[in-house]
Amino acid sequence: MTRNAPSTDKPLVQFDQVTYQHYGKPTPALLDVNLTVRRGSFTLLVGPSGSGKSTLCMLLNGIIPQILGGKLNGKVTVDGQDISKIPVQELAKSTGMLFQDPEWMFATLKVEDEVAFGPENLRRNPTEILESVEQSLNYVGMEHLRKNLVWALSGGQTQKLGLASVIAMGTPLIVLDEPTANLDPATTHSVHELILRLRGEGRSIVLVTKDLDEFMAEADDMILLDKGRVIAQGAPRDVINTYGNKILELGVWLPETTEIGLRLKAEGKLKKDVPITVEEAVDVFANARFKPSRPSENTERKETVLIHAEDVEFTYGNKFKALRGVSFDIRQGELVAIVGQNGAGKSTLSKLLVGLQKPTHGEITMFGRKARQWKVQDLATQIALVFQNPEHQFLCDTVREELEYSLLAQGIDDRIIINQRVKNMLERLEISETSDSHPFSLSAGAKRRLGVATMLIAGSARLLIVDEPTYGQDRRLTESLMELINNLRQEGITILMITHDMRLVDAHIDRAIVMANGQKIFDGGPDKLFQSPELLQRASLRATTLRRLVDGLRERDILVPDGLNTVADFVGAMQ
Amino acid sequence: MSEHSLRYIDNGSFFTRIDALSKLIWVLLVIIATFQLGSNEARGIMLAFIVLIILLFARVPLKTIWQAMPIILIMGTLLFIVNILTVKSTSFITIAGYTVGEQGYDRGLEFFLRITIMVLASFLFIWTTDIRDLMTGLVHIGMPYRYAFSIFLALRFLPIVQQEVDAVKAAHAIRGRASYSPIRHRFRLWQRYMFTVIVNGLRKAENTALAIESRGFGAYPDRTYTKSFRWTKTGFFLIIIFIAFAAWLIYWERFLRA
Repeated sequence: MTRNAPSTDKPLVQFDQVTYQHYGKPTPALLDVNLTVRRGSFTLLVGPSGSGKSTLCMLLNGIIPQILGGKLNGKVTVDGQDISKIPVQELAKSTGMLFQDPEWMFATLKVEDEVAFGPENLRRNPTEILESVEQSLNYVGMEHLRKNLVWALSGGQTQKLGLASVIAMGTPLIVLDEPTANLDPATTHSVHELILRLRGEGRSIVLVTKDLDEFMAEADDMILLDKGRVIAQGAPRDVINTYGNKILELGVWLPETTEIGLRLKAEGKLKKDVPITVEEAVDVFANARFKPSRPSENTERKETVLIHAEDVEFTYGNKFKALRGVSFDIRQGELVAIVGQNGAGKSTLSKLLVGLQKPTHGEITMFGRKARQWKVQDLATQIALVFQNPEHQFLCDTVREELEYSLLAQGIDDRIIINQRVKNMLERLEISETSDSHPFSLSAGAKRRLGVATMLIAGSARLLIVDEPTYGQDRRLTESLMELINNLRQEGITILMITHDMRLVDAHIDRAIVMANGQKIFDGGPDKLFQSPELLQRASLRATTLRRLVDGLRERDILVPDGLNTVADFVGAMQ
Repeated sequence: MSEHSLRYIDNGSFFTRIDALSKLIWVLLVIIATFQLGSNEARGIMLAFIVLIILLFARVPLKTIWQAMPIILIMGTLLFIVNILTVKSTSFITIAGYTVGEQGYDRGLEFFLRITIMVLASFLFIWTTDIRDLMTGLVHIGMPYRYAFSIFLALRFLPIVQQEVDAVKAAHAIRGRASYSPIRHRFRLWQRYMFTVIVNGLRKAENTALAIESRGFGAYPDRTYTKSFRWTKTGFFLIIIFIAFAAWLIYWERFLRA
């Protein structure tokens, strides 16, 4: 645990009556915002999708309004400088910013050049820059990769390089906008540790994240935004105790331990403060009593095998072996997750399942036919894949045309049937009002739903593969997508999810296939998976806070039943 | 794992270690020399020379060259066919059972060889040059760094755009084909590749622009460099040897060839 450097009361960032409207938008993105970020403090910025978090971040380094334009009223100062009067490049001496997708932040080819890029722009002495490059790379543990090409880095290394590049600028303020959105849990944890270490060294950190588990207890301040307004600001514990239920209502992810506390408090069953960390929760619930385990409701083994993979290997043209002897079955009606570290072979496996690649060794049998006998287009009638970026799969100029295209591609050309099915699907996914909109103009959640709709509207798909269902989505959008997925499952569609989200895995799936370095290292239920620390470590996974709470209670000899996979399960099992 | 053909290969080869400006001058000299050559035999020798450098001195993997070939072959073959069909010929020859005009064939081959030599030399430059070295080189000879950097960024993002195209192609493949004609379907796909890649490209280019500005790019009229540009002796020799080779080739085809 990193020791907190004392934050001072001197403000580093000050927002006075700030209202900002993006160019061409009818309503303001930020409204009457007053806030302060103290020097040396660690501030969490939370809120649902579209609440104004990224806009606020871009005000901190002057991108707004200087580059993106728009209308700014009120005053924002960073390190005593008015951000609307000092050029963005000058503000780079005060604010370092790590963007959501650092790959696009990189301006050079090699790791060491990338870290040097910012200080070089500020005309620092080359000798000093080289020292700072070395220090920054050491800081993030990438010294050995300094000569590597930036595009050859893994997802986690890319994030760490982004962080090193920001650290090397030596700014008093570091702004991090969702730095771990697409990382495996263990890499996320290591990036979190780095952030805490930076704060420990006196830098001011503003962090936007949906992954609050590890930060709520560490942060000095928490700012809650909704529809551009600051709903609450203060110490995280105070904000949670006062606005916890409001935060949940807004669709923000909170640690499961906190959610349990909030629910119990709302029911009048908790008199103490809402716990934030696992340790606090173990203390709070140390005297709790639980109902005995209920027999599992659904233990029947599903027998109809849709996909059978036997000793599958896949090697890319550059000799990179992405899959090594992977065998598994996917049965009718299951909800299976493929999990594992970044680069473990999950996406390659999904490409093999939809026929975009063929195994270089071994065999996959799909619906009774071998993979090599399937054409991609034919297989698409049986297996639907929803890409992580749904924009990639859109082909038409309106949502309606997009759905019609899918039907036409399946040979359904009766205009009456097409109109009926499109209408039904639009209503079912609650996107009817956007039927004439361009697919690219939809919100992130609606794009995801349209992605699912385009793949399922023909009604012939038996297996749905969803790549990272929670990526870029807040809690409400994720829950709505999972509701859709669960409904599809009820209708008999088998679901395969590729995900890093352990909470999702624990709450929804029957079975997890765990991948590490191209090999399958586990195939079983979530209970077994989360009971094996070695396995989790090998696959760069982490148990959910709920699982760690249950383990902590059991270590204190409290009888906690099996099968508590969600907050609702836990609260429901308490006597 | 990316397998794209047009990107820097940091293999420490002899050609990789030559400074970027000498290589750039070499590419320009290759283009000038190619236009000075008057026979397809001489162009063939020039092509062999370039291929020899690619294989022996740059050690570019055959697979990478193979992956880049469609670009060269499509451009070269199109020019070849257009010339065969459009150039008026007075004599005719038979190739693989087809009778074609001799002058059209010669002109077609000339264009094919020219384009192949020039494109391969340019590819060799991309395969063996860390574009940052080119940028510092251009700044070294007086180009404002903002302009030098724009060339650099364009080449820096080429592999990422290729990845984007691949992702879009894969996604479209599994959508299947609506009951349009194959040509209409193909047209629609291309239209959509372009749309998606341009929209995402612009979006990402905007993000990149924001990111580099926020890292102080353009704060001052100049900037410091941790790696400064240095002319290399090998670069000097490359230029001298190539000039000698090209001069000999021109002399050979004009005076020695029967």
